[in-house]
Amino acid sequence: MAENSGTILVVGGGISGLTVALEAAETGYEVFLVEKNPYLGGRVAQLNQYFPKLCPPTCGLEINFRRIKDNPRIKVFTLAEVEEVHGKPGAYDVSLKINPRYVNENCTCCGECAAVCETEISNEFNFGMNKTKGAYLPFEMAFPARYVISPQIIGTEDAKRCKEACKYDAVDLDAEAKTLNLKVGSVVWTTGWEPYDASKIDNLGFGRYPNIITNMMMERLASPNGPTKGKILRPSDNKEPESFVFVQCAGSRDENHLPYCSYICCMASLKHATYIRERYPDAKIYIFYIDLRAPGQRYEKFYKNIKADENIFLIKGKVAEVEEAENGNVTVIAENAVTGEKIKQTAEMVVLATGMQPTTAAKKLPADLKYNMDGFIINDFDKGGMFAAGCANKPADVVTSNQSATGMALKAIQTLKN
Amino acid sequence: MADKYLVEPDVEFIKDLQKLGGDTLKKCFQCATCSVACPISPDNKPFPRKEMIAASWGLKDRLVGNADVWLCHNCGDCTALCPRGAKPGDVLGAVRSYAITEYAEPKWLGKMVNDPKKLPVLLLIPVIIFLVLGLVLKIFGVDWLNFSPAGEEIAHSKFFSTWLVDMIFVPLSLWTVAIFALGLKRFISDIHENALNEGKTDKEKIDAVGFVKALGRVIPTILKHNKFTECGENQERATSHLMVFYSFIGLFIVTAIFFVVLYVFQIHGPYQQINPVKWLANVSGVALVIGSFLMIKERLAKTDETSVYKDWYLLGLVLGLGLTGMLTEMTRLGGAAGISYTLYFIHLVFVFNLFAFLPFSKLAHLVYRTVAMAYAEYAGRK
Repeated sequence: MAENSGTILVVGGGISGLTVALEAAETGYEVFLVEKNPYLGGRVAQLNQYFPKLCPPTCGLEINFRRIKDNPRIKVFTLAEVEEVHGKPGAYDVSLKINPRYVNENCTCCGECAAVCETEISNEFNFGMNKTKGAYLPFEMAFPARYVISPQIIGTEDAKRCKEACKYDAVDLDAEAKTLNLKVGSVVWTTGWEPYDASKIDNLGFGRYPNIITNMMMERLASPNGPTKGKILRPSDNKEPESFVFVQCAGSRDENHLPYCSYICCMASLKHATYIRERYPDAKIYIFYIDLRAPGQRYEKFYKNIKADENIFLIKGKVAEVEEAENGNVTVIAENAVTGEKIKQTAEMVVLATGMQPTTAAKKLPADLKYNMDGFIINDFDKGGMFAAGCANKPADVVTSNQSATGMALKAIQTLKN
Repeated sequence: MADKYLVEPDVEFIKDLQKLGGDTLKKCFQCATCSVACPISPDNKPFPRKEMIAASWGLKDRLVGNADVWLCHNCGDCTALCPRGAKPGDVLGAVRSYAITEYAEPKWLGKMVNDPKKLPVLLLIPVIIFLVLGLVLKIFGVDWLNFSPAGEEIAHSKFFSTWLVDMIFVPLSLWTVAIFALGLKRFISDIHENALNEGKTDKEKIDAVGFVKALGRVIPTILKHNKFTECGENQERATSHLMVFYSFIGLFIVTAIFFVVLYVFQIHGPYQQINPVKWLANVSGVALVIGSFLMIKERLAKTDETSVYKDWYLLGLVLGLGLTGMLTEMTRLGGAAGISYTLYFIHLVFVFNLFAFLPFSKLAHLVYRTVAMAYAEYAGRK
């Protein structure tokens, strides 16, 4: 039987995980923060701007990274995944697999390794919309601020070149995956979400027509550190689109896909409309919806401003079919449920407002947890010890995720106290 | 459209639809996917989204006299894409079923036809009519129902005289036509009024000549089952439906020819197998059995489609009709007199059911759908 531990394990380094870790550590508790990517920040890091104030992610993440850096009670593991969890509230044995980064703490982010690396790999941070070198920094403000060497080039000449180019002896090609055993008193799962796979929605043409993108791809296109340096260009010919269609509930509130409302997609599309209006003041924007959901007074105000915009058209009716039009354009088909007319709207770019699916929908965690039908973790407060916060628990925006994270940090602390 | 509309829900109507196979109707959240998914829905006021909200709100007047519910061929494309499992295809099927009983008088008979508990009564009605009529005629010395037909050759008219058959079935056909005529009079006026209210037509009045011309234009579509084959989900159904459809046409032609042969040329059956009309009869009979069998099989295999009594009554009747017909002929050729005469009697019971209850059963769709399609053509629905 493991002895009681005073440490909290936080699994997932997105906005929820950062919040749990900081709230707990800043009240005096030891925290292990585990992240499977080579960087912290999760989905928020991929956004151009986020609610409620339309800040760039640097705004919120930078201060959190700073707090983590300054806090000796938080120990961060990147490229790490939890393999096993045993025990009971107050005393858990956790085994952690840490994958090699092949770059050690000597790295100064000089970029010489990337300069000499010839292999290019798909940039998953940008949803494969561009490529990155085999030795790369995930994004400018990545934390930890260290390059990563992709396992795809290990064992190649490229890897050797990277090592030779490094003046600081920071490249360690012999690094191996290792297992670490931790003793913790409570666990908070902030494993977050994946954008729902739009290619599963047959009738909406994603993957068939290049100018149909997803809302998260739109975030990357609009982002200054994205594949187009913040210009919204359509994938087929890099044209600046003059018209956009947004398809709401693309896969959400749909028994054939995600039966629940993903909560964020309405606000995301309204926000995207502001991205487009800033860049292309004459562009026409058509938003097709079932119901527009703008929860709370602030979001309601945001929605009202969008609604008043004469270049933005809100149409009640779900897009159920898409077809190819001339010059790479796409025509969407919907019934306007207010007028009872079938509409065919052609646009130069179509954005699918795809929803969020919990990471745990595809792969269950190696711990004794309960899930609902959609794969979200159910918080069992009677049992205690392990809790889910943020989008691991339910679809949520950043504000709600942080509220949930703060609450679960307290639950995790209470577990240690008892 | 008026700015204000007072919704007066007919709760009983909603419950009736739910019982008739539309039990999922309340799940609809009006996303309008169905209207786009439907390959045959027009662009102006498409269905079935507007029908779904009318059903949910119990707006009977917007559904029963609505031609659009008949334009639907229940292919299931809408049901497959529906994000809520509201099954618009089945709901429209339920509305059609309700409409049939609404337009066919007397209504109590419609209720009986759609009530599984009354099935024995429906089957007993022709039995009683056949026997009573046959026995009463015997009293007057007319021996048209002979329970011990003599002679080497098996001829069904020796047992159940062709005169008796026609004495029953000719008036029965007239009765069916009359019920349809009365129903259609109301139906056409209702669908036109509904089309005017919903802005589906610019024609103020129905001009008879124009309407008949439109009917002529839709007949080839019906004969070729074009609307069926536009379907994505349930395409194989077009084949089995075509088989049954053409076998009925074939059998109608056969009956008409032999009617003329009998009454004009005074030649009695059974007719020889080498007779081309007999070929048509045999081919049609086989197609009827296979087609209806396939339809039953497809319906059983489709788990996402609701099947209720009205569907099984008709399918059972059609299969029974085909089977007893073919078996009567085969046992006659095989020389099994007793069995053959018995089967013939059962066959006549089925035929009676089909004819007498045609305006009340699901089969009435052949009239209402044809008229609705003709009306849509006439009204210029696009």
